[in-house]
Amino acid sequence: MPSLTIDGREVSVPKGTTVIQAAEKMGVFIPRYCYHPGLSVAGNCRICLVEVENLPKLQVACNLPVTEGMVVHTGSEQAEDGRRAVLEFLLANHPLDCPVCDQSGECDLQNFYMNFGLYDPRFREQKVKKQKAVQLGPHVMLDQERCILCSRCVRFTDEITKTGEIGIFQRGDRAKIGVYPGTELENPYSANVVDICPVGALTERAFRFKARVWYLSSAQTVCNGCSQGCNMDMHYVLDRPHLNEGARVVRVKPRYNPDVNQWWLCDEGRYGLEWIDKARLQEVRGPGDTANADTNSGKATWEQALGAISKSLAEWKAEDVGARIGVIASAKLTNEELFLIREIFRDALGAQVSAWVPEDPGTCDEFLVKADKNPNTRGATLLNLTSPDAPEAERIVDEALAGNIDLLWVFGYDLVEGFGEQKVRELGEKLKLFVYSGTNENPTQALAHWGLPSAAYVEKDGTFVNHHGRVQRIGRVFSPLGDSREDWRILLELGGLLGLQLDWRDPQEIFLGLADAETAFAGMSYGTIGDQGVEVACTKPTEGVTAPW
Amino acid sequence: MHEVTHETRNNLPPTLVAEFTELCTHYPERRAALIPALHRCQEELGGWLSPETLEAVAGFFELEPVEVFGVASFYPMFHLRPRGKHLVSVCHNISCDLRGAQDILDEACKASGCTPGGTSDDGRFTLVRVECQGACTSAPMLALDGVYHEGITPEDVHRILGGVQ
Ligand code: SF4
Ligand code: SF4
Ligand code: FES
Ligand code: FES
Repeated sequence: MPSLTIDGREVSVPKGTTVIQAAEKMGVFIPRYCYHPGLSVAGNCRICLVEVENLPKLQVACNLPVTEGMVVHTGSEQAEDGRRAVLEFLLANHPLDCPVCDQSGECDLQNFYMNFGLYDPRFREQKVKKQKAVQLGPHVMLDQERCILCSRCVRFTDEITKTGEIGIFQRGDRAKIGVYPGTELENPYSANVVDICPVGALTERAFRFKARVWYLSSAQTVCNGCSQGCNMDMHYVLDRPHLNEGARVVRVKPRYNPDVNQWWLCDEGRYGLEWIDKARLQEVRGPGDTANADTNSGKATWEQALGAISKSLAEWKAEDVGARIGVIASAKLTNEELFLIREIFRDALGAQVSAWVPEDPGTCDEFLVKADKNPNTRGATLLNLTSPDAPEAERIVDEALAGNIDLLWVFGYDLVEGFGEQKVRELGEKLKLFVYSGTNENPTQALAHWGLPSAAYVEKDGTFVNHHGRVQRIGRVFSPLGDSREDWRILLELGGLLGLQLDWRDPQEIFLGLADAETAFAGMSYGTIGDQGVEVACTKPTEGVTAPW
Repeated sequence: MHEVTHETRNNLPPTLVAEFTELCTHYPERRAALIPALHRCQEELGGWLSPETLEAVAGFFELEPVEVFGVASFYPMFHLRPRGKHLVSVCHNISCDLRGAQDILDEACKASGCTPGGTSDDGRFTLVRVECQGACTSAPMLALDGVYHEGITPEDVHRILGGVQ
């Protein structure tokens, strides 16, 4: 372990560590464009210059392995002068179109210029003109003039996706990046190049000219697009509806988690979030005045809905025929909610409960994307709500059609998609009580007696367990839309109306209850889960689960 | 739109395949033979590197076409567009410039029927302005298909270019 001194402080690091990494370890940030911890070292941009005692010239910190006794100055006058000169070169042909550049506000050319800029530029020549709006693929737009040729995007498609779409053409001040003529940047992870582009050369087509980044708020969450559970930051606007056609979610950015997604997100997850703001169920719908109405044509209040539902439930319970109640839960619910469903329906009422629903596996690959498009199948399994501990949803539906179940509550799952409209219509007629709670409009909701609007996952706190057994917090980003409510809140209230002793007030407390009850979660709390998650204690093997890396 | 297919990636003439296979043994890394291979392709396959050629070379070296395109577009000696039967390279670097390269170039344009960088309508010539060819001592100069004509005057240009078919 060589030890070296950086800015007057000594540090020991493993052999082979570079100066930029050693500095990072000490919390000293060295500017960088081409260096990215997830990619090979290119050492071409020269912005990371540092002064090293006894070496005649400035050195690039990203490509300099530490040696015993090395003395590094990252902020000396000489180092800063070097960076200033590098920036002067990088900006010589740069168009400086920050006022119309989407990167403005989060651009490392701007950021570093604040620190090391010349402020009185000497370049009076004509700038080289290049192409400004080159559509590289379905998600990515290129501005060749803004590119500083750091080659991060090239290395990403070479090393991470191994699809090799992007290259550098020509040379000198005419050099530019692009795709091979006639081809596109089209791979399942293509938009990551936008995140790693340190300047505004690569921008997201979906975000283009939508909002200045300083109007965006950010909150930590995870993706619910598949069972990988990639960590991400959600960028949203609440107070400027004109920016995004009223939608709150503007974009998402990957959040680094070495054990889940490193620095990346798949395009499907990144661009699969429209449902959070579109076609949402926003009001409680009930049978209205007509006593025997089969569908929920009327608007109702939560009090009416939960009052009526709990009254029916209490009656069945009194008759002690809990088996005539069926609940189809969903692996899109949080552990806390699944736990409450189990406590209330299975344990207190004796209902048949399942989160085991028929679903066609989706696309998958050997990197991040998993075929199971539910974020919490593993959680549902740990809570014994899927195979083999729970009945298949299909059996519950069949029993209801056979007249053996009178009350059915469906959480989020679209029965029409799974079993066809005919069957669900029949259910609506046969069942005494048919409740659907979910986030968005769908055919099942329209056929149920009660349609309850649930909060989207980013509108509530809670946890998912990813395919690998990592418990991760969702983190509430903003409040539920319209009249919608978090499923855990609906369930707690229902429990109260049923007179059950559930003395938890929020997801955090419910989770502690869950951790007490389930050994897999023993000793965990929101504190220990933190923002990077923790693995469940006993990893109950799920078929086909492999470590991501 | 041009599509890269398995076929385009694998149709280098067998003679070149054999030649490149041998060529690769001269280098520690296979891809290091890429530049000489591109030169040979240009010689053998119509004087320029067509998309089909680039893809076939990429196929041989197991590289992405974009990488071969990057290399080919880096060097001015590689032609990425069809070129005339004869290549006229007029030097315009400092020594030649001082000794009247501009007049040579103007005459060469007239005599060949090209604009700099262009190809004549009859397909006989492609004319390029190039950097120093290492013949500064007898500037100005032009090269016709690689053959140097040094210390020339504008009148010579007509004689040199007029003589080729
Ligand atoms: S487009 Fe961005 S990431 Fe790619 S080389 Fe240019 S500056 Fe770097
Ligand atoms: S791999 Fe899965 S969890 Fe990760 S971003 Fe894609 S859909 Fe979301
Ligand atoms: S970050 Fe070190 S040379 Fe680019
Ligand atoms: S400058 Fe023309 S040959 Fe050197």
